[in-house]
Amino acid sequence: MAQDSGTRTLISHAQLRRGRGRFIYWALLTVVVVGFTLVFLGPLYWMVTGALKSGQEIAQTPPSLFPKDPQPQNYVDAWNNLDLAKLLFNTFYYAAGAVVFQLVLDTAAAYSLSKLRPMFGNVILALMLATLMIPAMVLIVPQYVTVIDLPIVHINLLDSPFAIWLPLVANAFNIFLLKRFFDSIPEELMSAALVDGATPLRTLWSIILPMSRPILGVVSIFAVTAVWKDFLWPKLVMPSPETRTVSVGIYAFAGGTPMNVVIAASVIAAIPTVIVFLIFQRNIMSGLTTGSLKG
Amino acid sequence: MAITTVPGTTRKPGRPTPPHTGPQRTSLGRKVRDNLTGHAFLIGAVLCFVVFSWYPMIRGIVMSFQRTRRGETTWVGWDNYSRIISDPSFWPAWQNTLYFTVLALVLGYAVPFFVAILLNEFRHAKGYLRILVYLPVMLPPASALYLFKFYAYDPSEAGLFNAILKALHLPTSQWMQSAEMTMPAMVIASTWMNMGGAVLIYLASLQNIPGELYEAAELDGAGIWKRIRHVTIPQTRLILALLAMIQIVATMQLFIEPLILANGAGAEDSATSVAYLIYQHGFFQNDLNGAAALGVIMLVVLAGFSAAYLRLSAKQD
Amino acid sequence: MSVPQYRKAAALALVAGLGFSLTACSTKSDDKDTNAGGKVTITVDCQPVGAQKELLKNWNDDVAEFQRQNPDIVIKSVSVGEQCNNPPDFTARLAGGTVTDVFYGYMTDLQQVLDSGQAMDISPHVNKDAIPTWDSVDPALKEAFTDGGKLYAVPVKNYSMGLVYNKVLFQQAGLDVNNPPKTWGEVRAAAKKISALGNGIAGYSEYSAGNTGGWHFTSLLYSQGGQVLTADGKKADFNNAMGKQVLQNLKDMRYGDNSMGARQLLQWGDLLTNAGAGKVGMFIGAPDATQAIVSQFQGKFQDWAMSPLPGQDGLAKGTLGGGEGYFFKKDLTPEQVKAGLKWIAYQKLTPGKGQFDYVRAKPQNYPVGLPQPLLFANGSEAQKQELELRKANANVDTANFAIFEATPVPIKGEPRNAQAVYAVLDAAMSGVLTNPNPNSNIDALLKTAEEKVNQLLAAES
Repeated sequence: MAQDSGTRTLISHAQLRRGRGRFIYWALLTVVVVGFTLVFLGPLYWMVTGALKSGQEIAQTPPSLFPKDPQPQNYVDAWNNLDLAKLLFNTFYYAAGAVVFQLVLDTAAAYSLSKLRPMFGNVILALMLATLMIPAMVLIVPQYVTVIDLPIVHINLLDSPFAIWLPLVANAFNIFLLKRFFDSIPEELMSAALVDGATPLRTLWSIILPMSRPILGVVSIFAVTAVWKDFLWPKLVMPSPETRTVSVGIYAFAGGTPMNVVIAASVIAAIPTVIVFLIFQRNIMSGLTTGSLKG
Repeated sequence: MAITTVPGTTRKPGRPTPPHTGPQRTSLGRKVRDNLTGHAFLIGAVLCFVVFSWYPMIRGIVMSFQRTRRGETTWVGWDNYSRIISDPSFWPAWQNTLYFTVLALVLGYAVPFFVAILLNEFRHAKGYLRILVYLPVMLPPASALYLFKFYAYDPSEAGLFNAILKALHLPTSQWMQSAEMTMPAMVIASTWMNMGGAVLIYLASLQNIPGELYEAAELDGAGIWKRIRHVTIPQTRLILALLAMIQIVATMQLFIEPLILANGAGAEDSATSVAYLIYQHGFFQNDLNGAAALGVIMLVVLAGFSAAYLRLSAKQD
Repeated sequence: MSVPQYRKAAALALVAGLGFSLTACSTKSDDKDTNAGGKVTITVDCQPVGAQKELLKNWNDDVAEFQRQNPDIVIKSVSVGEQCNNPPDFTARLAGGTVTDVFYGYMTDLQQVLDSGQAMDISPHVNKDAIPTWDSVDPALKEAFTDGGKLYAVPVKNYSMGLVYNKVLFQQAGLDVNNPPKTWGEVRAAAKKISALGNGIAGYSEYSAGNTGGWHFTSLLYSQGGQVLTADGKKADFNNAMGKQVLQNLKDMRYGDNSMGARQLLQWGDLLTNAGAGKVGMFIGAPDATQAIVSQFQGKFQDWAMSPLPGQDGLAKGTLGGGEGYFFKKDLTPEQVKAGLKWIAYQKLTPGKGQFDYVRAKPQNYPVGLPQPLLFANGSEAQKQELELRKANANVDTANFAIFEATPVPIKGEPRNAQAVYAVLDAAMSGVLTNPNPNSNIDALLKTAEEKVNQLLAAES
């Protein structure tokens, strides 16, 4: 199906099917497939086999391609000593919560800004968008002292998943994406629903949301990626070993562990996400390519 | 500017008509209620913004003029700023961060774009190549960096990169142990582990370019490079500009790469970044106030940069 | 449901939802269940992590036994990671007030702990009744945890640095295990022989990252008779012949003899990983480094021995020392303080129990017989008991540590504002260890570091 996907790109199909063009195309494709496999899959192979090597073998010159004396014990040690199950659970738990909180609160906010348009809505939106230019690092210290002693209520959120979930809701980019998407939904649909006596909540639920699946998918992917990729914030607000995320856990662990075990832990930590990714890759890819930045 | 539309929906030009202009009568009470409803939907997100974004913003500025010692907070004027600026690593940190940002723009920004153009031309192995490019994004960032640190950048000849260089009879490198190679090595690792997302976004925007434009250009006798310059780049300018912005803001926050690859400061402060310095002050040196001041400085720098950027892009339009 | 009602409900649900989410997070901060059922409960941190199986079992056994003896006390153990005091996490807990009732810290943390306002003055509570061996505890250690005449922590460990060396590699290199190097010149010669074994073995290994480079520079400087800061703590005092000698020694080994291995920019775990893998001949460290090599880095403690820190000509003129203790969180009830002291007395300060239970430790995979933790003053009753027990149950050749113990080198503490100073000195260390240019200038490195430290101290005051 990929062969004749109609659309014309940089180089015309006709040119690629004929003589020299055809040869160059195949040569280039081969080079790229081999090259990319080496560049992107190679390191992962190195990682999986490297974790099987002994400390001595890792330090050997030149490095060996296959582990001579495989040490599966490294994987067992990594799994047990690092309590990887717990770390992975934490990370997925935080990611799931982040998706729920962002979908509920950001969607509601974007809907309000796009369709209900209450007073000062534009001011609020402007203030939100202004935060887009403020990188997380700038706020890390005041945000941190805020989280350890929330103003007025004086609650300490350290080691609580809310310390990860709630700050992620304050995501102007997501609200912007959602709002733009909602803006594109014809106003007539809204008015028609209102005439029928539907409440705004009902309209959101039964008209807007079903049309917005792609953008909701994108926001979810962003939410998961944010939790998965973030390092310093979870490191600061989740100081106990029981509440750490995978990335922070591996870092904390690496300071006092032989490197082959650290690498083994890294391999194990990557497996679940890679599997999830391979299962949902069609959805993720199409979500990222059709939904993002287009809404 | 290109207006992109969502398939299946139509976009009304200009401001959409306000709601509730139907047959219902608009009374004052009704208006108040509508407003309340609107705000009720907003309140959750707004509260989160208040507590975790707007308030910390102000608090950061306030903190940067205070000092807390023995549980007591006092106003200290510009003391925190003078302390942070006189920190010996202050200027190296800015130098390194800017150097990284520039290198990352050259490498981490251009490479994904050309990879996307290349991938867009292939009619085979499309899915496989996309998955490959995105695979490193799946690794926890710490894992990906340890992979580089332990295997690729090992300074002895047991290291992967050095083994390859040696097999090719090229001079080997000390990688992270060499002050000159520190930043390039960090950019390579960072690009490898992060480029997947950018490639996919570029691919999406490339697919939106109408094929007729290329055909027209070809009829005009434009070669491949000309077509890229005169069709591909202008057609994806919006996305290119947006991602450049996002990337610059992201690279200015360089933190985990020096922390893991260089164990912090690297050879002779060659890896210290501004973010790392904030972390050092706040969480190693018991100096949250100094760290807050550095945060404010970073904010000012980025604000200046954004202003310049907006001006430039406004001029171009 | 009519429209307005429905809206109100929605709004309420949102507000309530958020309000709930905020209150739901009031996690551990307020479980002040002090006197539940007449029992006193205290939380204590620094429980070993799961990976340290035997240590963890020992700790849990100690807790069980202690609670059996004191049925009115409940000890809740908290593990805070492999390193009980990892600065960023420690700072986070202090700033956030989530430290345990009785919490672990280094001597050098005293200032930070006081700044955070989290610790209480325990001087009224600490005496011979609360801790039976209190009078035997080295007064210098008590002093280290005292500020303005008030005691803030109970010392539980004390160390000083020496030269740690791998006996197996010594033998392979034809060196005399019982006659370890006494001067830096001898260290250099030995390192050269050991690295000649090949296989990526470093004769001598040294830190240069993560503030550990500055930490070791300090110790090396002390061995020369120098000091990092002037006595008043206002100026840097290492840009002199002694500081240059420290860096020159390293440079000679690194690039003159190439006997320090290819991998540099090492920090704590990196060096010990290499040591555990048998790739390091010598390094400077405290006796507990050998413990870490065993418990975390897959090494064998039988391979290691320790001698006093070498000096430039003859033994070191000084060495770096430090220690650990337990602080008490402010606002504890007197009963809780009492319970906490009782627990520390039992687990940390009683010969034959807890950390001094050498009978239990002997068959385990832990070295017994190391000259540590050096808690009790020379000649005190507790010290004699501890020493006898240690000798009787030693599973390492105590002769390997005899010189170290018999040759006390004067111990100096860490400089003021240690972490910030160390961060600067890291650059000097990494400069020497990673710059192969033979003309790389030690004078310039030290001069830069001196300026930086002076700037830092000036801004600090």
